[in-house]
Amino acid sequence: MSAKGVETTYSERVSRWKLMVIILAVALILTIVLSLNVGFAQIPFPTVLKILAKRIPFLGNLVDSSNVSYVEETIIIQIRMPRILAGALVGVALAAAGVVYQGIFKNPMADPYVLGVSAGAAVGASLAIVLGIGFTLLSLSTVPISAFAGSLLAVFIVYNISRVGSRVPVTTLLLSGLAVSIFLSAIVAVLQVIAGERLHIIVFWLMGGFSYVEWKDVWAVLPLICLGTAVIYFYARDLNILALGEETAQHLGVDIEKVKKLLLVFGSLVTASAVSISGLIAFIGLVIPHITRIMIGPDHRILLPTSMIAGALFLVICDAVARVIVSPVELPVGVITALSGGPFFIYLLRKKKESYAI
Amino acid sequence: MVILTVNGIDCYYGSVKVLENVRFSVKERDFTGILGPNGSGKTTLLRSISRTLKPHKGVIFLNEVNIYTLKSVDVAKQMAVVPQDNVIAFNFTALDIVLMGRNPHLSRFQMESEKDIAIARGAMELTNTWHLKERPINELSGGERQRVIIARALAQEPKILLLDEPTVHLDINNQLEIMDLLKELCTKKGLIVLAVFHDFNLAARYCDSAILLKGGKIVSAGNLDAVLTSENIRSVFQVDAMVKRHSITDCLYVMPVSMPKPLSSRNLSVHLICGAGTGTTLMKILVNEGYNVTAGVLNVLDTDYETARLLKIPVTSEAPFSPITEETHRANLEMISKASAVVLTAVPFGYGNLRNLEAAKEALKRGNPTFVIEEVPIEQRDFTKGKAKKHLTELKSKGATFVRNQDELLSLLDISDDKLKIAKEPSTKIPGHLKPETNSHKGDEMDDVESI
Repeated sequence: MSAKGVETTYSERVSRWKLMVIILAVALILTIVLSLNVGFAQIPFPTVLKILAKRIPFLGNLVDSSNVSYVEETIIIQIRMPRILAGALVGVALAAAGVVYQGIFKNPMADPYVLGVSAGAAVGASLAIVLGIGFTLLSLSTVPISAFAGSLLAVFIVYNISRVGSRVPVTTLLLSGLAVSIFLSAIVAVLQVIAGERLHIIVFWLMGGFSYVEWKDVWAVLPLICLGTAVIYFYARDLNILALGEETAQHLGVDIEKVKKLLLVFGSLVTASAVSISGLIAFIGLVIPHITRIMIGPDHRILLPTSMIAGALFLVICDAVARVIVSPVELPVGVITALSGGPFFIYLLRKKKESYAI
Repeated sequence: MVILTVNGIDCYYGSVKVLENVRFSVKERDFTGILGPNGSGKTTLLRSISRTLKPHKGVIFLNEVNIYTLKSVDVAKQMAVVPQDNVIAFNFTALDIVLMGRNPHLSRFQMESEKDIAIARGAMELTNTWHLKERPINELSGGERQRVIIARALAQEPKILLLDEPTVHLDINNQLEIMDLLKELCTKKGLIVLAVFHDFNLAARYCDSAILLKGGKIVSAGNLDAVLTSENIRSVFQVDAMVKRHSITDCLYVMPVSMPKPLSSRNLSVHLICGAGTGTTLMKILVNEGYNVTAGVLNVLDTDYETARLLKIPVTSEAPFSPITEETHRANLEMISKASAVVLTAVPFGYGNLRNLEAAKEALKRGNPTFVIEEVPIEQRDFTKGKAKKHLTELKSKGATFVRNQDELLSLLDISDDKLKIAKEPSTKIPGHLKPETNSHKGDEMDDVESI
């Protein structure tokens, strides 16, 4: 192939990337709209569309919404809409954090929870539930706020345990994350024992889901997740270079300790935000990055956006399935993610076994 | 003009001092090798210059600016590093890896432009890796991978190239290719090349100057001829080595000479009368077998003389290409008188070394058992119009033991040595012979030996 050929391949690659992101984004929007139709209450799809269209400026006035009931509108806008958007946001956050952590740790087992975010959040949430503290901050209820605080506190502890001067060796970070998680899980176990009749609330929270999500939760985490993923994306090329090892990355002009700290802080922030509204949803943050990497390659400049959208897409679909599969009972969404994503991941691994290496 | 100055740096790993007062300066077009044994601080020195390990004391200047005050990205525009181990986490293609070398030249949101790809291509063509561009990096062979890593360093368009054993994974052909490339970059593009080498000869062939480290300190630095001496090599590596200038490449070459410990120690001391390389193998064998060996008279520069020096064998020597003087002859006889046996090899005789034959006769006369190796008939190596032959015939008639080759000699010496031991310590058991006794008419020679 001539040089010209490769150069055009490279500029083509950028347009291919853009196309890929656009296709995935469109797919996500369509899925969100379709999943609004899914639920225990049977609402015809045209009605759903009408309710949505009514909200669009200018176009809304042209829609004839005379036959849409107030109940239907409330179900779609106040109940389904926030939980679906929360699902999408959590998917975005967990996938982004997963990509970041696998990139920093260069470890295929890394997921957004390695630094103790999940265990910290679990302690925070369980404490709030057991103690039954009732306060609100910016109209948010106790459980998400204490979960958020707990997860950030856990990461802070882990980070400071592993810090050596101004450096943070990643192996120590992984190990202290593990140690702190185990310790905090034990505390959660203690809290579960003394929780009495509130035990089922804790268990349900730990399994993760979007049943209780309201608009205010979405609005609370939206800016945090947007900010966090934006900062992470700024450092996508640095994440590529990190794959060469930290010393080499530094030789290539990456300010390694600064980049690592920023990525850890914002990775933890988005994870904590996600966990605080959804509870512990496993699997997404571990597997979505792998699946996208198998399909589109390791370049973080495309891996990050596609993983984020794929994470959202996957979680929205799983949540829709969780709502109806054993209706009227809801399954925890984590069960669906694992049941469907696991086999798919194994299929991809076996198919691409030779060429996939982390 | 780019100048890199290392000004008296001390480096520590924890509390262990790994570099002490290291001080040197290199400028563009310098190709400098860092040499030294394992753990001497070679890699540490590179790490310190590449801003990975900050010195506790001392400063490293790049054009009079302390490199530790610069930003990573600014250093990366001027200095590229080819590390020893290159573990790459994800399966990027070779071209992706080389393009990462453009990172210091790109702003945060900039994608690689056609110019960057052209530069990467140039670097890959120089290192002969362009055909590998689409291949995943982790599927390449060690040599291919190393060349891709070097291409990545070149894509940085550096002024200084630091390499940690750049040819260690490569076969001989790839080694020379890479070294030729580095040399060319150095002379044509004016790069500073600073590289750690384990292979003296590769360093000697390409470097202009060298830094020899031992225990974190510079033992010698400067011009290659001044650094690469057998004295320096011995003091740093505790290895004896010959350093010579190769006649074809006109480069220094180093030939380490390993010095195995004698297998056993013997009581017998043997004086060798040899020359022109006829004694070289025998000297090594005898020293290995634990005999005390002396030799003479040998001319300085004679192959046997060089061997004797390396094996630390005492030699009576004569000036190069000169006939043996009366004085040297007497010194030789002195040495012979201390030996318990004398061996005369199949050395060619001219008028210059005829006195060595007289020395052998003298030894025999004094009662020293004398062995003559007759691998080559005397007629073929007598350049004295029969004088040497006459001496040799005399030796035979007066009871010198004539053997056909080294093996025969060794088994006879072995027997003599055991007898000597029995004589000294009658109670000791005779150890098993190390050499198989292939001698067919041993009986006759036993008699000869018994006449000692």
